Amino acid sequence: MTTQRLLATLALSASLFAIASTTQAQEPTEVSWLMWSSSDEQTAAWQYVADLVNKQHPDIKVQLQTTNWADYWTKLPTLAASGQLPDIVSLQSLRAPGFAQIMEPLDPYIEETGFDIDAFDQSIINGLSMDGSVFALPYDFGPYVVYYNKDRFDEAGVPLPTVDWTYEEFLSAARALTKDGKYGFAVTAMGYIPFALSDGAEYLTEDGELNLDDPKLQAAFQKYADLAAKEKVAPVIAASGTMSTQIASGRFQSGDVAMFTTGPWELINQKNKTDFTIGLAPIPAGKAGSITTSAGSGFGIAKDSDKKDEAWKAIQVLTGPEAEQYLASAGRAFTGRIAEQKYWYENAATDVVNARPALEAALANAVPFRTTPNWNSVEMLSEQYAPLAYSGAESGAEVMDTISTLVEE
Amino acid sequence: MSIARDRAVAIGARSAANELLAVTDPSAGASRKPRPAAAVGYSRRRQDAHAAIWFLLPSLTGLTLFLIVPLAASLALSFTNWQLLADPKFVGISNYVRLLTFDPTFYRILGNTVLYTFEYLTLNIILSLGMAVWISSLSWGKTLFRLVFFLPTFTPLIGVSLVWLLIFTPEGLMDWLVASLHLPIPNLVTDPNWAMQAVIIVSLWAGFGYNLLLFGAALESIPQSYLDAAAIDGASAWQRFWSIKLWLISPTLFFGMVMTAITALQVFDQVYALTRGGPGNATATLGFAIYNSGFTTYKMGYAASISWVLFVIIMALTLVQLRLQRKWVHYDA
Repeated sequence: MTTQRLLATLALSASLFAIASTTQAQEPTEVSWLMWSSSDEQTAAWQYVADLVNKQHPDIKVQLQTTNWADYWTKLPTLAASGQLPDIVSLQSLRAPGFAQIMEPLDPYIEETGFDIDAFDQSIINGLSMDGSVFALPYDFGPYVVYYNKDRFDEAGVPLPTVDWTYEEFLSAARALTKDGKYGFAVTAMGYIPFALSDGAEYLTEDGELNLDDPKLQAAFQKYADLAAKEKVAPVIAASGTMSTQIASGRFQSGDVAMFTTGPWELINQKNKTDFTIGLAPIPAGKAGSITTSAGSGFGIAKDSDKKDEAWKAIQVLTGPEAEQYLASAGRAFTGRIAEQKYWYENAATDVVNARPALEAALANAVPFRTTPNWNSVEMLSEQYAPLAYSGAESGAEVMDTISTLVEE
Repeated sequence: MSIARDRAVAIGARSAANELLAVTDPSAGASRKPRPAAAVGYSRRRQDAHAAIWFLLPSLTGLTLFLIVPLAASLALSFTNWQLLADPKFVGISNYVRLLTFDPTFYRILGNTVLYTFEYLTLNIILSLGMAVWISSLSWGKTLFRLVFFLPTFTPLIGVSLVWLLIFTPEGLMDWLVASLHLPIPNLVTDPNWAMQAVIIVSLWAGFGYNLLLFGAALESIPQSYLDAAAIDGASAWQRFWSIKLWLISPTLFFGMVMTAITALQVFDQVYALTRGGPGNATATLGFAIYNSGFTTYKMGYAASISWVLFVIIMALTLVQLRLQRKWVHYDA
């Protein structure tokens, strides 16, 4: 009896051990992923696509970590310096030149697996490439456009922006919309760039050097700053730990400003949070026409990762058709994949006035948002110094000269 | 900042001030006579030393790992051009040379830091001492008031600054208040000449409760008999404060001033959250410059060299204060 019991116990524990070891074997490989997010809606969207990876590859589990936009760019180099980069690194095209050195070139993987890179928009693939190598697969891209509050336009009796509206029309609309403590427009730290391009001013030289001390660019920046300083059609957003774009977005949501510029990725933050109708328009045409910049972001593999093959599988799903359809429908991304862009138009932007004509017009005249390797410094210094021009404390030229000196130093 | 505070709470203001004194003033330690060496045997001393090492080991390990090694590393770093992503390269003293001779913003930032420290320290001491004296004169609610004013001290500064940012924001509560009172004050966070005042207001609100508690405790410990005797001799309330209380709490006052000056020189949180050093560099302080160099322009070597300049300044100021205290601090209560 006792022998039997002993045998039974042994058999039971052996089988338990077997079960334990098989679950051990099926334990999925964890792949870490660091992404920026500025709202709960965005974090939920990223978690959804992270879970998609596990559904398609049961042996891979993506661990999502998010941080806000500004902190992402201090956290990433710190992690890189201490050798703790996540396996999957999110990369924005504007910062690709500065961070390409910590990323694994994807070309060998693309060749080996016969991955169809042509399904993506060519301009954003270029944006995420350096010296002919692709460093990230894009999940989105898009041109900077004007978001407007249709209800405020209707109240003020101002005609809605058309796809070929001019700077003069924009300015008179902004003036008419500025009343009762509310504003027509919002100026942000880097928002002047598409306006400057539309006026024929260049923020980079032909050789890709910063061109902030160029008189033509400084004049264009002054014109933009005067929207707040002289015309008073835009509030002065003070320099603070919160990025000016985020403050502008919040003030647009609350109905406090009637227009601001951002990209199609912003729709998820505005949709369902506003009780007014949103409309889109291209950047108003200046002397050189309506020229905007297009930028985007994607996911790549850290050079130091020891799970590169798993990470490659994961980023294919994160930027795959299913994830892209979801991100486009949620309004998080105007997709890098051309075929899925329709979901942004048809699902996310259904209630948005002129979404398709505005975006198509903007895309037709968009130039890739080229940058310098120290772009993060340029952006952060602009956050700190541009408000001086917006409040009129300093001229636009003085501000641009300062930023230029501090970046080069 | 919090380490300094925790330590202060643990040691107690009086003994900490005594310790500071003992470092520079040998006469203060005179009462603690060392044991004559001959009375202690050689082997006994060795045993003591062995035991002492074991007792010291836990805190010594922590001190070495978390203070001395990073300190040495940051000094080494300040002689390199480390930019986080690339390997550091030795560049000699060129970071310091550039900082002191070439950097277009350094002297402005240094000036901002000195202005902030001076104004904040003065206002903080006046406010906390005044309030402490007022609260100690109350017949009821002393604890309640001390608690209320101490509350901001354990509220995270970033959170505090975010709320104040909403108050200071153009056309916010502050602007409304200023406009209704017809005061000639522009918006604090967009005017470069006034922005530092916004940082100081937030710092005062968040910081004076700590000194208030410290001074309040010191005032409570003054023997009532001294004050009664003075009152019988006909001393007015003002005379009792000026000639008795102030002298008796001078060690605590000194300690509060030293600690406040040190934290003021290192100011960062409020600046980062409230103004990001702006507009322009109107509120950029050394603490903020260290962060900015390290994390927005990724120049870690340069950031380390600013840290060492700040360290030297704090050290120098503290030594000056220790010298000056002989003239006004009284330990023989």
